[in-house]
Amino acid sequence: MTLTHLDERGQASMVDVHGKDETRREAVASGWIRMQPDTLKLLVDDSMPKGDVLATARIAGIQAAKRTHELIPLCHALMLSKVSVDFEFDHRLPGVRVRSFCRLAGRTGVEMEALTAASVACLTLYDMCKAVDRGMVIGGVQLESKSGGRSGEWHREDAGVEAVEHGPADDEAAVHSSGLSSDQITVRFFAELRESLGMESLTVPLAELADSRLSTLRASLLQRVQSGELLEQPRILCAVNHEVVQGDITLSPGDEIAFFPPVTGG
Amino acid sequence: MNFSVTVQQESFDIGQLQQQLTGERTDIGAIAAFTGRVRDFSERPDILAMTLEHYPGMTESSLRAVLAEACERWSISAGCIVHRVGRLQPGDDIVAVVIASAHRQAAFEACAYSMDHLKTRAPFWKKEHTRSGDYWVSERASDNEALQRWRSDERIDR
Repeated sequence: MTLTHLDERGQASMVDVHGKDETRREAVASGWIRMQPDTLKLLVDDSMPKGDVLATARIAGIQAAKRTHELIPLCHALMLSKVSVDFEFDHRLPGVRVRSFCRLAGRTGVEMEALTAASVACLTLYDMCKAVDRGMVIGGVQLESKSGGRSGEWHREDAGVEAVEHGPADDEAAVHSSGLSSDQITVRFFAELRESLGMESLTVPLAELADSRLSTLRASLLQRVQSGELLEQPRILCAVNHEVVQGDITLSPGDEIAFFPPVTGG
Repeated sequence: MNFSVTVQQESFDIGQLQQQLTGERTDIGAIAAFTGRVRDFSERPDILAMTLEHYPGMTESSLRAVLAEACERWSISAGCIVHRVGRLQPGDDIVAVVIASAHRQAAFEACAYSMDHLKTRAPFWKKEHTRSGDYWVSERASDNEALQRWRSDERIDR
């Protein structure tokens, strides 16, 4: 293992990426900010004195990702093709969990961009809320996964990295759950699909599935839901935790899965 | 910076939205504002009313994502999206997208980009009530085609 940012003399040196193949690079990073329960309530109710906190922190995270090379000395300036920053209120923390995602087709990884986005989104959350709570703590900034490039795929859970302390949770289960205490997942249906199925939502204990893949859940819904075959129409979309998902993924306790027809707003 | 998304039953006032967006700022040279309204004809004539359903939480986050992308692509100073839900009558406003920028081109394009992506990504569904019954509006191929012109990973800085 060598550190590519150091030259033969151990001095800092920017890696020459010329000649490396362009591949699709993606990285996910996360972090959290812990605050007083009252502060979180103000945030949830959207009544912070400085206005829309999450929208501001999201834009700040995105802007920060784009400017990572100005902050971290040996990072290249990248033309990111996608940056997203998402937030989740966690009443057990209590506080906000931040998740950032960066993608580009290029010759260098985007971990630093994702980590910078998560960090600056946390800092902006602090700035937007500090008038009501100066004692907030930022922590847990870490890479969750990366893909593309010579080193290929990397996932925190596969890498045997110990789960990092996610704030002062009272019990072990809370550290690993994403807000819900049980191992259930919630399935929701919308619009025409909701009417056709005559059902708005149901909960499925993950333990009742053979494994925790989305495809396994879908197969089980065929049995659990009358006219469940409607879910398998090609036009029906599926979202996991508010993000549209194509293909198969692994579900986690507390996840919310939604099925709905193509959208027709505006 | 001022970016906001709102999903509400109440009507909105586009003038007020512009006012909120700009406030006392004097660096904003252009505002592009789009308003979508309920038509009295669609797949069928004689639309009496429409009911808009959404997915609370996902709708807001997808609208925020759309604004954030527009912000990434163009140099814009402020932006807001207001989308109504519930039962609406022909002639009612449905959606407002207001984008403020130093220059008009960025405002025009970011506004069109936001609207095109809202149409195809934000989880809203329309049910139209007509004399011949109620039916769910189906998606339009033209809405997906409208996305083609934004299909470039190139960032356009103006």
